[in-house]
Amino acid sequence: MTQAVHEHSEGHMGIPLPTGKVAMWLFLVTEIMFFTALIGTYIILRHGTPANSPHAWPTPHQVHLVEWIGALNTFVLICSSFTVVLAHHAAVKGDMKTVMRHIGITLALGCVFLVVKAYEYNAKFQHDILPGHIGESLPYPEKPAEGKIQLAESQAIEREKHDHPVGMQYFQRVKLQLEAIKKSSIPAELKAECEKLLDDMNPASAAAQAQAGAFRRPLNPAEVGERANEILEKAEKAGVALHLSPAIPFGNLWSSCYFAMTGFHALHVFGGLVIFVVILLMGLVGKLGPQHANMLELTGLYWHFVDIVWIFLFPLLYLV
Amino acid sequence: MTETHDDSHDMRVKAYFSVFIALSIFTAVSFVANWAAHPERAWITPHTSFAIILGVAVVKAVLVGMIFMHLKFDWGRVYFVIIPISIMAMMMMMVLMPDIVIAWQPGQEPLEPAVSITGTR
Repeated sequence: MTQAVHEHSEGHMGIPLPTGKVAMWLFLVTEIMFFTALIGTYIILRHGTPANSPHAWPTPHQVHLVEWIGALNTFVLICSSFTVVLAHHAAVKGDMKTVMRHIGITLALGCVFLVVKAYEYNAKFQHDILPGHIGESLPYPEKPAEGKIQLAESQAIEREKHDHPVGMQYFQRVKLQLEAIKKSSIPAELKAECEKLLDDMNPASAAAQAQAGAFRRPLNPAEVGERANEILEKAEKAGVALHLSPAIPFGNLWSSCYFAMTGFHALHVFGGLVIFVVILLMGLVGKLGPQHANMLELTGLYWHFVDIVWIFLFPLLYLV
Repeated sequence: MTETHDDSHDMRVKAYFSVFIALSIFTAVSFVANWAAHPERAWITPHTSFAIILGVAVVKAVLVGMIFMHLKFDWGRVYFVIIPISIMAMMMMMVLMPDIVIAWQPGQEPLEPAVSITGTR
């Protein structure tokens, strides 16, 4: 009797889906929560910053994000999603040569995505747009731009007090970078500007001027940030790569979010590539057959999910 | 019978290809919407651009999910995990909104007559 009931249950209970597919969907919903936490944190932090203040969330241009590079990477992932779905389709038909070809193309496209991402990361390192490296404060403009509100003096003072410890870290970092720039070979005009900034940051120089009867206080972190940005702008126009930290309000928060979101996404892409390599190796030793169509579908589900995550990361980081 | 089977396969490949083309076009649309809203051009307002870009992202995700991830066929078997997680994902973001996003920020117009933070004036 027990046996009969057991058999009856096996025949009619449960979800009419392969166990692997149910497991993959359960895994994907945990991934949805993981990326929602990251993307949600980004949205909340970004919209929690004052939108109509002169110091708002960084624009893509300020943090050296190039829109067309992001769009290119989106297209690369879309192509890879298309080839992986074609690979599964070929596996269902039993055409394993086509499966191998499409998985090979998917692997190559995934590698292209990571290479482009590495290029972008390298640009961030070159421009020193890294968490904890960026100057957070800039002097408030005397006249705010259209649509922006001037902070009350007391609010600006409060903000400067709040930012002071981070500002001093930035001050010291810029000082060390300017010392290094002094020893490097760059155009004389730029070098002179860097030396002037270093001199204006140096209290000894101020003391010397005080002796001469004209006291000049050393620059504060906000003023250093403004001058550093001016130098960087001139260097960019001259085509010179200067390793000098910029000052971008909320820049540290932005870069933390950027590296967390794109870094975890890139790790997921890398994980997918490892699976594609395993599939290719199975094919090369002749162990890949139509019986693996289900495995290819599950791999495809994972890869499409990685694509969907990028579909949201691209506009959030590069466009809006 | 074989012909019907092959036809069904061809139809699927056509659907995959159509989705691929649609995804590529939508990516271009979101790029152009952002370009058109650039302050130098201002052909459309930033809010319009934002609505287009977000709408396009949602449509792209739905296309990938429905066709590439076969949800069109499997929805009836997996909806019970996807719907609750979608609600929880939305809630995860929304619970923090009132405290952080809707809260008053320095630099916003005060609702009441300005009062100094430091109380010095």
